[in-house]
Amino acid sequence: MIEARNFQFLVLGLSAAWAVVIAYMFYLVRRDKKLNQELSRLRDMLSDREKSSR
Amino acid sequence: MKEKAIYITGGLAGIILLLNIYNIFMVLPDEANQGAVYRILFFHVPPAITGMVLFFVAMVGGIGFLSFKDFWWDALSVAAVEVGVVMSVVNLVTGSIWGRNQWGIWWAWDARITSQFLCVLIYVGYLVIRPAFSDATQRATISAVLSIFAFADIPIVWFSIRWWRTQHPGPVLETGGLQHDMAMALLYNTIGFLLLGAALTLIRLRSEEVQREIESMRRLAHAL
Repeated sequence: MIEARNFQFLVLGLSAAWAVVIAYMFYLVRRDKKLNQELSRLRDMLSDREKSSR
Repeated sequence: MKEKAIYITGGLAGIILLLNIYNIFMVLPDEANQGAVYRILFFHVPPAITGMVLFFVAMVGGIGFLSFKDFWWDALSVAAVEVGVVMSVVNLVTGSIWGRNQWGIWWAWDARITSQFLCVLIYVGYLVIRPAFSDATQRATISAVLSIFAFADIPIVWFSIRWWRTQHPGPVLETGGLQHDMAMALLYNTIGFLLLGAALTLIRLRSEEVQREIESMRRLAHAL
């Protein structure tokens, strides 16, 4: 079982580890969202151009 | 298929890490000298191993691209490097916090810590240099060569605690320096982190493929 000795450093270490991983996950999700928006914007633009060229 | 693989690896990683957290905090005893803080080990060693495995995958990706000239290998390589850097940063940060408590200092220019820090710098350099090349083939070729040469640092990081006896604790994994229950908890967390690393790499790989699709669509839009 866990004691109080050096407990605050353990909490600090675990919080820091998960903070780095979670921050990276947020970055991945945001990047994914931005890329998908850009992809659909380009798809729309290309299909508009194709329609207008016919 | 890729979505399914992401959910399966991510889900398994979550389950293993959550179950093991209970084991680490509620079942395992405190270490006699360090008290509670030794538990940082379970979040320090697994990310380091995951990072090394991912840098190996990046090297395989580099060799794959140079052999087959298929951009999927380049995408795999960059995805593995990025997640590997994140895992290595987790390793350095947790080690620094443990060191502050046990050694009284946040940082030491010790062989293991310095070689790991250099490893992170080399792979950050890989990520920073990539956008400098606008030509996709040139970018992938240079990245592939870099990922192969950068891997040369990994054996130095791994063996540094055997080759030089400096500040960092010596090897405990293969010398049996860990009690059986602690070694098992470390093994489960290593599996959990490896699965987490795999899930994050698959997500990053997917976004790299979307990025390539965007680039080819942009070229098409310019041509029209």
